[in-house]
This record gives sequence, C-alpha cells and structure tokens, in this order.
Amino acid sequence: MTNPAPAAANPAEAGSGPPLAKPDTSPPLANPDIGPPLAAWDIGKTFGAEDGRPVEIIRSISFSLARGEIVSIVGPSGCGKTTLLNMVCGLLAPTRGSVFWHGRELAGVPARAGYMLQKDLLFPWRTALQNILLGLQVKGLGRAARQARAEALLDRLGLAGFAQYYPSALSGGMRQRVALARTLAPDPEVLLLDEPFSALDFQTKLLIEQDTARLVRGEGRSLLLITHDVEEAVSLSDRVIVLSHRPCTVVAEHRIDLPGDRLDMIAARESPEFAQYVRRIWTELDIR
Amino acid sequence: MSRQAVASDAASLPGGTGARSARRVLARRTTRQVLAVQVLLIVVLLALWEEATRHSPANAFLFGAPSAIAFHLATMLRDGSVWTDLSVTGLETLAGFALGNLLGTAIGLALWFSRFVSRVLQPFILALGSIPIVALAPIVIIWFGTGFASKLAMATLSVVVVALVISYKGATGVDPDQINLMRSLGARRGQIFRLLVLPASLTDIFAGLKLTGGFALVGAIVGEFMSSSVGLGHAIFKAGSLYIISKVMAELSVTVVLALVLSAAVSRVERWLLPWRHDLQ
Repeated sequence: MTNPAPAAANPAEAGSGPPLAKPDTSPPLANPDIGPPLAAWDIGKTFGAEDGRPVEIIRSISFSLARGEIVSIVGPSGCGKTTLLNMVCGLLAPTRGSVFWHGRELAGVPARAGYMLQKDLLFPWRTALQNILLGLQVKGLGRAARQARAEALLDRLGLAGFAQYYPSALSGGMRQRVALARTLAPDPEVLLLDEPFSALDFQTKLLIEQDTARLVRGEGRSLLLITHDVEEAVSLSDRVIVLSHRPCTVVAEHRIDLPGDRLDMIAARESPEFAQYVRRIWTELDIR
Repeated sequence: MSRQAVASDAASLPGGTGARSARRVLARRTTRQVLAVQVLLIVVLLALWEEATRHSPANAFLFGAPSAIAFHLATMLRDGSVWTDLSVTGLETLAGFALGNLLGTAIGLALWFSRFVSRVLQPFILALGSIPIVALAPIVIIWFGTGFASKLAMATLSVVVVALVISYKGATGVDPDQINLMRSLGARRGQIFRLLVLPASLTDIFAGLKLTGGFALVGAIVGEFMSSSVGLGHAIFKAGSLYIISKVMAELSVTVVLALVLSAAVSRVERWLLPWRHDLQ
C-alpha cells in the first residue's frame, strides 16, 4: 500500500508546472510492483482504416496514474473520451501506442480494474445484492465470501435496507450507488469511471462523489474519471488532464491543490482556488 | 450523509404506503366495471343472435343458434366426446408447442455464439419462415402418417421458426455496454451467455411463447383437418361437412377455451419465472 513510487512515475513531478504533452511513463518497467498502476504511452485510435475512410478519433495521449491518485480527464463532448477509456481497460485495441498496467504492456482485460459508466448497467433480473455480487461470481468466489463482501459494501454505501430490491424499484441515485458497489466488490486497484454521475441531480451527485472519494482515498485505490463536468473534475481530483477536440490530444494538465478536507466536495467548491482552476480549464476546453 | 440521501430517496420509491393502496382499490373497481360491461355485451349479442334465428330456419341453418350451440355442448359433455377431442388436440398442441419452442429457442440462442454461422443461415431461416405451414400438411402426412406424429410435426413446424427468430433477436439485442461490463469483469464467453445473454433474452422468449401457443394450436387443427379420426379439428371438419353449423360453433368455443387456457398458463409461468418484471405482477 505505502510502497513509494519511483521518481519516473511520480505524479507530483509529472503533473506540475507547464502543461505536458508526454509525462515520463517510459521506459515501461518490467517489475509489476514498481510501475504505476496505469500508464498510457502515446496511444491513438483511428476507426475505419480498413475501408479506406479513416476517422482519427484520438491522435496521441499519454498519462500515468499513480497509486492512490485521482485523475480526471475532461474534454469537449465527442472528443473520444469513452474510446480512450475502452482502450485503457483493454476492451478496444489502440491503433498506436501502448497501455501499461504496473509497467507491463496490457494484454486482454486487466485483472484488477473496475469499470463504470453513466448507464448503471444493472441487470434488471438481479436484486441489488445479486448485482453487486456479479463480479465476484464471474471470478468464482465462494458463496459465503461473496455474500459477506457485498453486504459490507451495501452498508458502506448506505444501501443496507435495499439488498433485496430489484433495480426497477430503486431511484436513479440508488441505482448508481449499487453500480458503484458492484464496481468495488471485486476489490479493484484502479477504477475507470466514465461520466458515472452525470445523469444524477446535483445533490445526489455531490453525495455520491463524496462516497467515491472516501472509498478511493481511504483504501489506496486509484481512480481515472472521465467527465465533461469541470467542477466535478476539480473538486474530486489530484490532477486534471484537459483534452482537445477531435482528433484528440492533451491540451493541458493541472495539479489541483485545494485547501482543507479533500473528502468534502462542498468545502472544495467554496475555496477561491477552486474557481480559478475551473475558469482556467474552461478556457482551455475551447467550447465551440 | 449517504444514509440521509438514501432515506430521502426511499420516500419516492414505489411501495410507499398510502397512494399505492388507493390506486389498488381504484384498479380493482375499474376491473369489476370492465368485467360487467363485457358480460353484458356477450348477453346482448347472444340474445340478438337467438332472436334473429328463431323465426327464420334459413338463418338458423346458416349461422346456427345460441340455443342449439348450448344443446350440442351439453350433448358433447354428456357423451364425453368433448374430453376425448380436447385431450387429443390439447396434447398435440402442447407437445408441438414444447418441441418447437425448445428447438427454436435452443438454435436461436446458440446462434448468438457465432455471427458468421448466423449470417450463413439467415436466408435459409427466412425462406423456411416464409413457407405457409398449411401448405406443408400434405407432405407431413405422407412422411409422418395420419396419427399423432403428423399433428405433432405440424404444430412443431408452426412454432419453430418464430421461436428461433424471436430468441435470436433477444440474444443479439443485449446492450453492448453490458457485454463490455462483463468483459471488464473478466467474464468468459460462456459466463457472458449464462449470466447475461440468457436471462436478458427471457423477456423476448416469453413474448414468443405467448405468440406461438396460438400457432401450435393452428398447426394441430390443420393437421387434423387433413386426416384424422379424433380431435377438435376432426370434429369441426366433420360437423362442417354435415352442415351442422351449431355443432361447429360448439366445437369452436371449446377450441377457444383451450387457446385461452394455454395463454393463461404461459402468463402464469412468466410471472413466476420473471419476478423482477414489476409490470407483470
């Protein structure tokens, strides 16, 4: 957990100062214990190259994610953020560059990654509890162990009384909490979240963001959050990476230093630094 | 703090007490009213029918009469022929329904595993599906004889392609993001099928079951029309050939009851197997 990261992968250096197009993630480290949990080196994606009408979605993106770190990626809509996420978690092969998990080039789907989208993707035929158990069931964990783990998670996300409810009987916020619990149940090291809270109302969103921060920071996980919500990115993250329009590249990278308790989303939003970060990122986003 | 959010969420849940029970009372009352109007409608129609045929032997001959239909029904019940015919046709329908759906659904779901094979088979399936099954009856009788087997074959053929197409649609219509979710959890193809594709297809499969119950009955009756010595289709055909319209109507009403019982049974099983479908409960 407290294993110090080597200098090459230190986010504090990679993320400070002027915007960096290519954080130093190479050479990939062969030892799985010392590489950053996740790094992308110069990855790009072009669709439709085979039928002669290629569309370049992502030109070149590099970044790294250190243990215990929350990094947000913001970008104008349609810039390929979801494509990026799918490449990072092995669901889509990049046309150039490489993704590294613990310094090893990714082959297939990474073992300890948790993936969550804006759609809760809950299975309507499973109760909240059974939905949370899904990942553990796939991994073949015994019934008793599964049950204990899922019930602990339900408790921590304030869902204790709702284990036996079907998703159709839950509100949007609660469904997304169940989805978060399902993502956390297999104990992932790295969470990959794609606009997970953007369909929720403001109040629900703040609360679930807070729970997410608590569950990530408190347990030494890392979080890569893809969002178009600049305020969410700034209030939650250690670093924010700003992407350009298509074909997408890294425009800027900010280290977010906010005073006070980083688990309190409301306090974070009240500081003057918060407003400065938001304003700067908005300018860089180049909304047309 | 998340507790509070959940508590406030809970207030807006269905299952809150007051409004729900009020709605239920209202629903029950509307159901009673609908039922009353339906019964009234039947009584009025039957009375008009009876009245129109009472003074005209020609009308009675051509269209039958409710009183004569009732007489035939009573006779059929008394001599027990209705039970023989009903059980024979019911068995043919049920067996064909089960076999056709089993085959069709198994193939339809299996095709999920290979886009290539399903593309190869697509035109053949469409061609098979576009054959009017009635037109197959003469061949089926040559192949399977005049007994139970030919009716079973007719009922099965009426069901199998529909079941196949519907279950294939259900299996391939699964949200690709849900498949990605399963892949991100490290699920193998077999696990994706068992934990996601199969349960997700059940809604469509049950829609298919409701539809094909009627198809199987049509298949069995057409088979009996072609050649048979027992069954509802046989009885209808015989009475029709003898111009006993009221007896045809009596047998028809028994057939309708069989169809309704079958579809009600499917709905019952669906409610039992899909407890998460709150719209069904």
